[in-house]
Amino acid sequence: MKLTADERWNLIDEISKETVSFGEYHETLIDVIGEITVKPMTGIPVAIAALYAFWSIFSSFAGFFTDGFFVKIFDEYWLPWWQSHFPGVGGWLYYIIVGDPTADNCFEAFGMLTSGLFVAIGIVLPAVLIFYLTLTLLEDVGYLPRLAVLMDAVLHKIGLHGYAIVPTILGLGCNVPGVAATRILETRKERFVMMTLLAIFVPCGAQLGIMNDVIPETMGLVLLYLMIGYFITGFILNKIIPGKSPEILMDVPPLQKPLLSNLALKIWMRMKGFFTDAIPYVLLGVLLVNVLYLVGFIQWLGGALSPVFVHWFGVPEETTGPLIAAFLRKDLAVAQLSVIEMTWYQMVTSVVLVTIYFPCLATFMMLLKEGGKELLGSLAVLIAVVTLFGGLLHLIGILAGVA
Amino acid sequence: MKGNSIYFALLGAVTLACGLADLIVTVSRGVYIWGIVEIPGEMFRGGWGGLVVIFAGLFYLSGSKNVSEIHQLSKVVMGSILIWLMAGCDLLARITESIPGGDEGWFNSIDGFFGTYAPPYTPAMLLLPFSLVVIYHIHKVHPQGQAIEDESTN
Repeated sequence: MKLTADERWNLIDEISKETVSFGEYHETLIDVIGEITVKPMTGIPVAIAALYAFWSIFSSFAGFFTDGFFVKIFDEYWLPWWQSHFPGVGGWLYYIIVGDPTADNCFEAFGMLTSGLFVAIGIVLPAVLIFYLTLTLLEDVGYLPRLAVLMDAVLHKIGLHGYAIVPTILGLGCNVPGVAATRILETRKERFVMMTLLAIFVPCGAQLGIMNDVIPETMGLVLLYLMIGYFITGFILNKIIPGKSPEILMDVPPLQKPLLSNLALKIWMRMKGFFTDAIPYVLLGVLLVNVLYLVGFIQWLGGALSPVFVHWFGVPEETTGPLIAAFLRKDLAVAQLSVIEMTWYQMVTSVVLVTIYFPCLATFMMLLKEGGKELLGSLAVLIAVVTLFGGLLHLIGILAGVA
Repeated sequence: MKGNSIYFALLGAVTLACGLADLIVTVSRGVYIWGIVEIPGEMFRGGWGGLVVIFAGLFYLSGSKNVSEIHQLSKVVMGSILIWLMAGCDLLARITESIPGGDEGWFNSIDGFFGTYAPPYTPAMLLLPFSLVVIYHIHKVHPQGQAIEDESTN
């Protein structure tokens, strides 16, 4: 049976008369506060405050566990125990498992069971836990959809719509669920732009945790550079990539009190992913980098790429090793950078390069799964962006007299 | 209701001044301590945080006129929420600082623990008790959180 438009509207009227009850609506204080959070004039200050609280809680919590307890446990007990009990000091197996026998902290030892576990458990675990806790809280309170509405106009400039804020924020926890969340975007163009931006400019929670520990003073500058790169690259991609970026209607739920059971379940599901994905990759990353060092590959690559690193990017050639490690775990790469001697601006440039140069292995596999052949396009964009952006940072440093 | 409007206007002006002081101290790259007030000068807390305190002040000021009207009240409530966020973050930073013992052991000494909570305090922490007045106001004027028509005309 085919209905005309009028018949369809009449049917809707009849159904709604029987099913919907009408009454006088009283606007509540919560409703009005909800409105404040989506109007740009008032919503943007609220968003700035929410993000401030997000990062402040993140650094206090992560610093409390890492600097307060884990550094002590790993440097004073775990590392000395392995150094004195593992047989064959100076041998290749000792080098891979325990690392440098003279090191007095887990950042410098660089063994699988010393630095590898310290990075995974001592630094990344508290960072990822508090990140997911605050993210889930914002989600369940109903603030995240409001942020999406608020960001809609800005994100349209880079060919995306407001909900692209969800994969971006999820990517700040871990790029893998961030890439999976690009499914909420409708067109191939939108998904391509989002995946490319995620792979290049969005540092994961693990990496943020390490940055917070290793370069707390310059972390803001690193994030600023990444944010600028995110929008400039997105703007260019929007102009050159063919396809549509349609408007969408967003359902904004009322602000509400979160349920503790929901919070706990969501955090547990997200943390489970961390235990199964992150820890094995960190250990594997240390193993691979140590093997590559032992066979002399990294030293050779450092020499070969030296002109690019030293003259184009303005960073020491020793950063080649961390860049290779970054393919497995970027957090690990930042940890490696921290023990290389360089100026503060070289450190900022190196950390930005580690972030943008290549997605980690887990994200790469996810991009392959979700993006398929479009991954090649993303990688081409990535190479162009790394070359140009890295050179640009060096130029800014020279002009500012700090490089 | 006039008393409430004056109270929130004054609170707004003080909050705005505190936010501006945060920004000025940050730009001058120092830390300013005066009696029990400490204005941090680092970029994150003083710069970004100072901006949030300024927004809180502006919310108070824009909502202070006819504060019993629900849309105006919501602005005042939002001003208070921003102060709670700022003060909450400052307090959390003190809590996480007060427990670990640093180089001297696993946990802080009793003196060290309580010493962390001693003055000076950031402007947001000092503004916290004054911002709580809004809770009393919500319960007094809008017991069910419902809208009340413009009361100044009643």
